[in-house]
Amino acid sequence: MKKIQLTLCVFGLTCLAALSAGAQVRFTGTVTDGAGKPLPSVTVQVKGTNTGTSTGDNGVYTLSPTLNPGSYVLVFSGVGYKTLDRLVTVGNASSYTIDAQLESSSLSLDEVVVTGTSAGTTRRQLGSYISSVKADDLTKGSTGNVLAALQGKTAGAQVTQNSGDPAGGISVKLRGISTISGSSDPLYIIDGVIVDNSTTRVTNTDATYAGGNFVGSIGQNRLVDINPNDIERIEVLNGAAAAAIYGSRANAGVVQIFTKKGSTGAPIVNFTTSANLNQLRKKLPVNTAPVKFGGSPATQTQTILTPTITNTSPVTRYNYQDYIFRTAMGTDNTVSVSGGRDKTKYYTSASYLYNGGIVRNTNFSRYSFRLNLDQVLNNWASFNVTMNYIYDKTNEKPDGNSFFSPTNSVTIIGNYYNIRQRDALGNLLAVGERGRANPASVIEDFRQQQQTNRIISGAGVTLTPIKNLTVDYHMGIDNYNQDGTTFIPPYAYNVSLAFFGGGPSLDPTQNGYASTGTNTSFLINHDLNLTYNWKISDNLSSVTQVGYSQQYQKMHYSLQQGRGLPPYVQTVSGASTAIPGVDQRTELSISGEFIQQNFKYRNQLFITGALRNDGSSVFGSSQRNQVYSKLSGSYILSGTDYWGSLGIAKWWDLFKLRAAYGESGNLTGIPAYGRFNTYIASAFIGASSFTGQTTYTNPDIKPERQKELEFGTDMSFLGNRIGLSFNYYRKRVNDLLISRLIAPTNGYSSLTDNIGALENKGYEIVLNFEPVKTKDFTWDITAIYNHNENKALDIGQSLLLFNTTSGAPVAIIGGQPIGIFYGTFFATGADGKQVKNPAGIPQTESGIQNSPLSYTPQRSQATGLPTGTALQKIIGNPNPKYTSTITTDLSYKKLGLHIQVDAVHGVDVFNADFRTRQGVDNGTVAQQEDLGQLPRGYIAGIYAIQQWRVDNGSYVKLREVSLSYDFGTGIKGLKDLSFSLGGRNLVSWDSYNGYDPEINSAGQSTLLRGIDFGAIPIPRTFSATLRAKF
Amino acid sequence: MNKRTLSYIAILLGVALASCKKDYTDTSGPSSSQAFNSPNALTDVAVGLQNWYTAGRGGLVYNTITADGILTNQLYVVNAGNTDEAQLGTGGGAVQNTNGVVTGLWGVSNKIIYDANLVLAQTPKIVTDKNYASGLIAYASVFKAMAIGDLATFWDQVPTGIADTLGASNVGFETAPQGYLNALTVINDALTTIGANPIGSSFLVNTPNSIDIPNTLYALKARYSLFAGNYADALAAAQQVNLTVKSVFGYNTVVTNPIFTLATSTNNIYQPVDSAMGLPAGLQPDAGDKREPFYIAIGANPRYRISGFFNATNAPIPVYLPGEMMLIMAECYTRQGNLVSGANWLDSVVLKQPAKDPFGVGAGLSTPVTYTGQNDLLNQIYKHRCIELFMGGLRLADQRRFSRPVTERKRSFLPFPFVERNGNANTPADPTF
Repeated sequence: MKKIQLTLCVFGLTCLAALSAGAQVRFTGTVTDGAGKPLPSVTVQVKGTNTGTSTGDNGVYTLSPTLNPGSYVLVFSGVGYKTLDRLVTVGNASSYTIDAQLESSSLSLDEVVVTGTSAGTTRRQLGSYISSVKADDLTKGSTGNVLAALQGKTAGAQVTQNSGDPAGGISVKLRGISTISGSSDPLYIIDGVIVDNSTTRVTNTDATYAGGNFVGSIGQNRLVDINPNDIERIEVLNGAAAAAIYGSRANAGVVQIFTKKGSTGAPIVNFTTSANLNQLRKKLPVNTAPVKFGGSPATQTQTILTPTITNTSPVTRYNYQDYIFRTAMGTDNTVSVSGGRDKTKYYTSASYLYNGGIVRNTNFSRYSFRLNLDQVLNNWASFNVTMNYIYDKTNEKPDGNSFFSPTNSVTIIGNYYNIRQRDALGNLLAVGERGRANPASVIEDFRQQQQTNRIISGAGVTLTPIKNLTVDYHMGIDNYNQDGTTFIPPYAYNVSLAFFGGGPSLDPTQNGYASTGTNTSFLINHDLNLTYNWKISDNLSSVTQVGYSQQYQKMHYSLQQGRGLPPYVQTVSGASTAIPGVDQRTELSISGEFIQQNFKYRNQLFITGALRNDGSSVFGSSQRNQVYSKLSGSYILSGTDYWGSLGIAKWWDLFKLRAAYGESGNLTGIPAYGRFNTYIASAFIGASSFTGQTTYTNPDIKPERQKELEFGTDMSFLGNRIGLSFNYYRKRVNDLLISRLIAPTNGYSSLTDNIGALENKGYEIVLNFEPVKTKDFTWDITAIYNHNENKALDIGQSLLLFNTTSGAPVAIIGGQPIGIFYGTFFATGADGKQVKNPAGIPQTESGIQNSPLSYTPQRSQATGLPTGTALQKIIGNPNPKYTSTITTDLSYKKLGLHIQVDAVHGVDVFNADFRTRQGVDNGTVAQQEDLGQLPRGYIAGIYAIQQWRVDNGSYVKLREVSLSYDFGTGIKGLKDLSFSLGGRNLVSWDSYNGYDPEINSAGQSTLLRGIDFGAIPIPRTFSATLRAKF
Repeated sequence: MNKRTLSYIAILLGVALASCKKDYTDTSGPSSSQAFNSPNALTDVAVGLQNWYTAGRGGLVYNTITADGILTNQLYVVNAGNTDEAQLGTGGGAVQNTNGVVTGLWGVSNKIIYDANLVLAQTPKIVTDKNYASGLIAYASVFKAMAIGDLATFWDQVPTGIADTLGASNVGFETAPQGYLNALTVINDALTTIGANPIGSSFLVNTPNSIDIPNTLYALKARYSLFAGNYADALAAAQQVNLTVKSVFGYNTVVTNPIFTLATSTNNIYQPVDSAMGLPAGLQPDAGDKREPFYIAIGANPRYRISGFFNATNAPIPVYLPGEMMLIMAECYTRQGNLVSGANWLDSVVLKQPAKDPFGVGAGLSTPVTYTGQNDLLNQIYKHRCIELFMGGLRLADQRRFSRPVTERKRSFLPFPFVERNGNANTPADPTF
């Protein structure tokens, strides 16, 4: 603290010294691209000062700095263009016109990126790869979710939509997963405000419905609140090499989002409206056999699993998908006004999004208002404020992992009930004797709603007290309140207590359920950065940066719930049986300081080194402070004199080599209070009970630490028509937090400690190609290929196996990818074919299990069939071998066509629903057994073989298509008008035995991935969009 | 820049950076050290032992009754989708060492022993009120003894205690009969404690208070002495039990009867095999035995359904039945050669009218037993233990004690859980059956 005050005093003095009078001058001009087209949003700055602006939509800028006579440099920089410096000599005149023409660069070498620095740096200087996604690319994909819009846009990122709910969760994994405890999603920063992207369930939250098993991280993640139309660009930092400066928060990478800013000139009104249509892309085939085994469906179900029942009864089969799914409409409207005068610039927007879910009675709506204000105070100080208010509301149904979610309620019953049939009193009827919920109850009677009020706001000052020194202070607050209610009305028929029914007696103390949950989150961050630019000699310059940051987070989650609801009552207070609630309060803080030094030699060679020290309240005092380091360099061979003299320079424009090393930490590995090993307090039959947890956390635990080494090259050829980037990286996370299984005779079943290590290594290739570029016709192709190998190196034991609600046997094994499926498998003969018993039923491989990965199969001498204990092995891997994207953009005059195809290859999905459909007699394998095409007892025979549920999850998806027509300025009263027709997730080429292999019913979980258990499939979306500019 | 602007900025930064607090407390419950440093906290941890023992699918009530019931053919698995229970139903090598019931039984037993040890060690140091301390020790001892007893019932070797250093030491093993003796040591210590200072009511008001602690200690002493083969001790202890007192695990609408909630009400996990209670010919209930309709309800699809102590959300489950004490006395007399007294006590069970039993369990038969000798009498005692204590979690131990053929069960002992073998080098080899 003392140090900072001292620094401030020093600044104060220098500030005062810097106050000398100058005259106000006016710079104006038009910035255009190579073809002479005006360029909006180009930053124009007087070098070494704080004075800057950006161009309006007509490419015009105006700057009015107060300057003494002398020479100044105007710097023009825009995303996707090379930075241009123009020398201006200020004399007696008061106004100067300086036009500029910027050269585009497919690799955007001089594009400005902001990597934890206040002033930003150019891509040229970076030793590590940072991808940048522009606004245009985010709005072609027919989605209102910014993370969905990122799919396939950046190298090294695997973006997976986990649920097809209208506000369904999306996970982002940058260069593989970086932890096994806590979230492996990156740190998100919007305009300098650290924002919360957590997943908190405020609806459908009762612990019992998860069976006490490992369920994952299900529901909306909070980036759903952000309106993509407000975004100017997104920068993605894949690993520690790029993100070391973010210290303890950067293990999973950093995603920086920058929203639009105003520019001086006449106000510009942008209006965007779109309508979209969501539908189920693929309907699953269902059992159509006219018979079932056993008696009437009302009294005897799941008989297919009891092979001794061989009599049959005639049944009428239904397809419930026609009932629960629908085609839904959505709209997305945004109006923005931006502009500015002299020293004030503003961007404001208002938007309303409505998105109908493909499951009946589900939808999501979002209101968002934004104000971004930039104010220049004087020639050495400026101030900016960003404010974003969001309100959103979701009408939901229970998500996967429970047998009363829309898809599971259908999956878990035979398809021989008329679910819409009602009795004389208008009540729905039971579906069989097992106490399942009738899907019609779920769709028509369940009410599940949540709403979020959120404000994300930031304010900052930038001071240039003396030439070449920038002081930047920024404060950000992300504050939201999430509120949810669940209402399951009492059933009129027998539903099991586990599904909040009243059982056969319709017990009024148990029948029905209501809950109310709220989550209040407050997050504040302060960042103070000092940047000093020093030109040491003509060839050598230096940038020194010191910074201090602090973050504080407070969360309060509370849940009240009850069951046994009287008629008409939907609130918890009226429930006859209170279920223990939750009142969870946590606080945590992190603070740290860093120093970064950068040297630049002749714009060819760049070296950057940094150190950061961080402390977090999550860890014990002995491990609180952690130091992270970083070193990176880049060398632009094509910038050397020698290169210029070579013949290849004619067609080889750029050749850059880079290398970077960085370290970072992870704070989310253990909960805020994990190290206290709190005994859980609960009411217990008129008394209070303290129960110890089953996991013991070492109180001296420390953060996980990642070390990443990255090498790469950027090349461009033929006048930048071909660009190629290649990155190779190796990330190692040491001190990995693992809940190691320990012998229960320790009093605990697992011990959380810094035990293990994991590794991600891989490479990324980004290829840009512009085969055709004429005045009327351009064709751009971008291909991204990501290959990542993830591996647990050391887990302190041979095998960690997790029991999950879905039945997925998720495991961690040393030397193997994290989250693999490990379980029983089919016995096969020497010919590779399945071993079958005389009845023709496949067998579980059996024998002797020597170790988790080694076994010896045994065959019975008498029968030749497997004998011994059931063997287990790795039966599937939810980590893809590679992901890739090909994007092509064609434009002919005013017509544009954008197509994006994503491919995910070499990945398995644990398809729990597939097996359930057979076990309850509504699937197509069951149909074959019903019809005698498979031996009786086939399904019962292979039901327990876990490998049966492992399905091929590879797919190629037509992710985005957009056909647009730009009317241009031809229409009176409009500056621009464009119309586009598009679609998202239109076609999937896969061999998956379910709706869509891109799914995870465990939501945003790090560990449980590739599980299909009752989640809503991702819809196919068609959209029509109109954009007008006034 | 004027001085005022400067001072504003300085203040802003000062305020922003001043709060660097790093120590917070968890307000939701005590830390692992706070839980053992006050009488009330210790009591709540002891209540937590009952919570562990009795509640939910992970509790020992569910897992002992389930494992015992399925392994000894009292129950069959209705839906093979319940993998853990289905493995028990297949039995033999199909019961994997990752089985949830096996792992749960082992883990929760050890958890109870661990926390009970801490309560028993801390109580004399923290609790000054002798009567309060006496209650706390006796109450925690009930659960510790049962947890040890359950381990000795389902495994042929049991751990000697809790590891000294968390995660870094291997506990040794000893035979199951020694396990029963360990449980008896806990019980005898508790009986000595309450003998010196009766349990204070100030303690009981802090507990659910449905367990009659002194009678339960004697009943458990009788049960485990019998299992350990100490018939004289078993007889003496059973005689101490007041047969009119009810000692139960209570439930309410929140903490529900786990068997009812999970199995009875769903009809989706298991149900009774048949009206013969899974017994072979010759040992099946006599016609008119009223215990059969008490324990097994008649419905449709399936016909035989769970009833007894598992027929309602808040139905209490007895810790022991008076009938068990009578049958212990019958068996001890018989094994000690006093066939007349043995038969008398067996008759008191066979002839007991439901209305005369505090729990309504009564065969209500009219004919006293006839027997041809000690073995025959023991055989009939076994038969009536099976019927009287249906779904009581004791039949597996009884089958072994009475040397019943292995064809009557799916396994004699459970395999050691993977988690124990993985973390404890001393884990014995799994029994083959």
